[in-house]
Amino acid sequence: MIPFASGLGLILLGGLAAYGLDRRPVLADRVFQWIAVAGCLLALAPALSLLFGGGGGVGGPVDSIPAGPDALFGIDLLSAWFLPIVLGVGATIVAYGVPYLGPERGHRRVGLAHLVLAVLLVALSGVVTARTIVAFLASWEVMAVAAWLLVIFEHEKRDTWDAGMVYLVLTHACTLALIGMFAVWQGGHADWRFAQLARSASIGPVATGLVLTLGLVGFGIKAGAFPFHFWLPGAHAAAPSHVSALLSGIMLKVGIYGLCRMLALLGPPPAWWGWIVLLMGLASSVLGVLWALAQHDLKRLLAYHSVENIGIILMGLGLGALGTAYHQPTIALIGVAGALLHTLNHALFKSLLFLGAGVVVRETGHREIDRLGGLGRRIPRTALAFLVGSIAIVGLPPLNGFVSEWLIFRGLLGAGLASGGLRVAVVVAAGLALTGALALACFSKLFGVVFLGTPRDPSAGHRAPAESALIAPQAVLAACCIVIGVAPGWIAPPVARIAGLILPQPEGGAALGSLGSALPLSALAAVLLLLIGLGWSARQWTLARRPQRSSATWGCAYTRATGRMQYTASSYASPLLAAFGPMSGIQQVRTRASFHTRAIEPILDLLARPLWSRVVAAAVRLRPLQAGAMRWYLLYAILCLLGLLLYLQFAGLP
Amino acid sequence: MTFTPVLGLLAVLLLAPALPGIANRVKSALTGRRGAPMLQLYADLGKSWRKGVVYSPTTTILFRLGPVVLVCTALLAAGLVPLDGTTSPIRFTGDLVAFAGLLALGRFMLVLAALDTGSSFEGMGASREVTFAVFAEPALFLCFTVFVVATGDLRLQDMLGQPLAHTWLATAPSLLLGAASLFIVSLAETNRVPIDDPLTHLELTMVHEVMVLDHSGPDLALILYASALKMALFGSLVVRVFVAGAMVSAPMALGLLLIGLVVYAMAVGVVESVMARLRMNHVPQLLVAASATAGFGLILLLR
Repeated sequence: MIPFASGLGLILLGGLAAYGLDRRPVLADRVFQWIAVAGCLLALAPALSLLFGGGGGVGGPVDSIPAGPDALFGIDLLSAWFLPIVLGVGATIVAYGVPYLGPERGHRRVGLAHLVLAVLLVALSGVVTARTIVAFLASWEVMAVAAWLLVIFEHEKRDTWDAGMVYLVLTHACTLALIGMFAVWQGGHADWRFAQLARSASIGPVATGLVLTLGLVGFGIKAGAFPFHFWLPGAHAAAPSHVSALLSGIMLKVGIYGLCRMLALLGPPPAWWGWIVLLMGLASSVLGVLWALAQHDLKRLLAYHSVENIGIILMGLGLGALGTAYHQPTIALIGVAGALLHTLNHALFKSLLFLGAGVVVRETGHREIDRLGGLGRRIPRTALAFLVGSIAIVGLPPLNGFVSEWLIFRGLLGAGLASGGLRVAVVVAAGLALTGALALACFSKLFGVVFLGTPRDPSAGHRAPAESALIAPQAVLAACCIVIGVAPGWIAPPVARIAGLILPQPEGGAALGSLGSALPLSALAAVLLLLIGLGWSARQWTLARRPQRSSATWGCAYTRATGRMQYTASSYASPLLAAFGPMSGIQQVRTRASFHTRAIEPILDLLARPLWSRVVAAAVRLRPLQAGAMRWYLLYAILCLLGLLLYLQFAGLP
Repeated sequence: MTFTPVLGLLAVLLLAPALPGIANRVKSALTGRRGAPMLQLYADLGKSWRKGVVYSPTTTILFRLGPVVLVCTALLAAGLVPLDGTTSPIRFTGDLVAFAGLLALGRFMLVLAALDTGSSFEGMGASREVTFAVFAEPALFLCFTVFVVATGDLRLQDMLGQPLAHTWLATAPSLLLGAASLFIVSLAETNRVPIDDPLTHLELTMVHEVMVLDHSGPDLALILYASALKMALFGSLVVRVFVAGAMVSAPMALGLLLIGLVVYAMAVGVVESVMARLRMNHVPQLLVAASATAGFGLILLLR
């Protein structure tokens, strides 16, 4: 625990230094970057040694590194899985955030933003290592508020403030649900430790159901799962890009951590909960990617893909719950393992994509996809990293997204071979295939329109070159995507162990063995890369002997083509969105002289906001109660006193 | 260890370019024309391979990489299919997902190569390609699911190999529905009528062809070959479902497959002769109907 605590201390120290040295920006940046990154890596050490060292000496969900059963914080295998997501990805985000916010110095409180970022990282680490309810909820709330402060970094913009408020309301709804969950679960006990929660697991089916439902709502809001996702696109788009990467790559995963921890402590959930999670996952993934396709804003598009990927993770978790309920240990383990691995993978590639989007924003000064184009020539290294992230997120071999989706596919198809009610789950595989194909459409659009072709709006954006300072963190994340994709074998054993820890299986050993077969994917990736390498060499060898000529792209004999004539992202997505009709969330705005389309957030704009205005209208009627005259308030106080006296009298309390 | 899986792979790789020729020849015969020689594509491939290349200054390395990745993914995917009915050269649990994933990677890179030119035509083709793929992919997985549930195995080798032969009679209705759906999917994946028309060169009516307008020389040859190979692959999937019922030795099964591929190509030609290409906005409906067909097959198995 000592390296962990001192690492977190270093992160905070770095943040304080950035704040304190605000007058000397160069020094402040340097100090913050080095100290905070070093702190992240130091705090990561015990988690990594637990994951990859040691062997299987971990007995139960609450046994862990810390000294004594009364520790507030501790690291067990489950925490150890999420700590690299928080601190490892966090380190790249810190390293990126410093040069990214550099241009803002002078007109914004950059030092303060760095301090809040440090606090946020520490709070996130606290959430995934907390061992008591209070430590968990306190870290949770610090995390929620720190993230809000970072979201409203550009608070003078109306959209930003609006998105921040939606986030703030939703995150407190989430905390409320979690407090309710813990209240029901703990049942007025004096013991606030998680260990106690695990012992009081037999709280009756009704209370268990309530705990599972409240937990799914609370953690579902944080994870951004449909239908609670609607805070997410606005907040991710409004925040500075490195914060978007942190929100999407790390903070959403804390919701997944919460679900895993809840299952580990509570024991196997009933089948209905598994079905709900599986269907929630299906809806999140299909609708998330469909709505992503409709977006015109680069970062909103990426944000909707987080909804999609959280959906894929939930599919895996739901499959795990179902497999346990229907006594199919292999399917359960594969589902949970796929979910865990996809959690890590999504953290890696989504952060990578948001960091790439940050470079685009810095280079051009805007985020409108339809006005971008041809950036591959201006920022080739970012384009390459973004391509790696795109292939990974679409779930194509040979990168990491394919490995985890392959696991979940295997689990879903395997469900079709089980006996009993679980068989129907096999249909979800078609939903996952639909998600994958939609993601391919969406990322071919995004990458093709932003990085390929020629600039669509040459007047927009020729700011100072930003790529050089921002490329290293992207390179690290891209390398991780490639390594996990090409060699998943080394990461499979810890994943399998943690999966068995979240939902213990009767014949876990045998099922674990079948998970070790991630090796064929390595072979497949190797053969694929070898083939492509050979093919490329053969092509080069052939073309060296052929005449090569350069000539303009074929334009059907039209000679004055401009960048604006290229296919835009909107027209690219149009036939697909048209096929999905009103589900696609596209709103057409017609006036007598103009026509344009707008991507709405269906849940927020069609459901949440109208509902909210009803609530406000109802609240207005209560306004006379708050007249502001002292005599009324005294009357309320006396009425309240009377009520309490009556309660004491008739409830017969001591 | 026998040599038939490798022999099958080689045979399919070599004979693939004949399939579009057969389909076109059937179409010509049925519409009262003489038509191009059956082996025309071999000549086209040779000619393109010997030619020089023209590159637009707009393009980057992705434009050059696209055709190579397309061919390599199709080659590797071919290695996953049990062409002789017993063994696939490459096989592992869940390799059907890899089959779909590899073909999707090829599509992704080809679409990026098209967008790399900055041409509106190719953007339009790319857009249509991914749109139709969105509806073809779930149908393909539902077909696979039918075979998975019928055979109880997650390897293409067994889903389309001997285990399928043993369960063939008991599950024939589902398998036929799956095969019918797979046939429609194969038409979409190989860009044939009624989804796309490989012979029409009107811009507004093309999908695959418009995507590869700017490719020339060996790059174009690679793309043409990959399309033919993809046709052979999807044809093999369909044919395997039908011939799996005949429990014969591996060399015989390979022979049956090759005959079946010719019949498949002729069937594609017949479809092209008797119906017109669908309007673009009706294609998703056809593919959703394919999904539903496979879905009914699945329900029969799950009941």
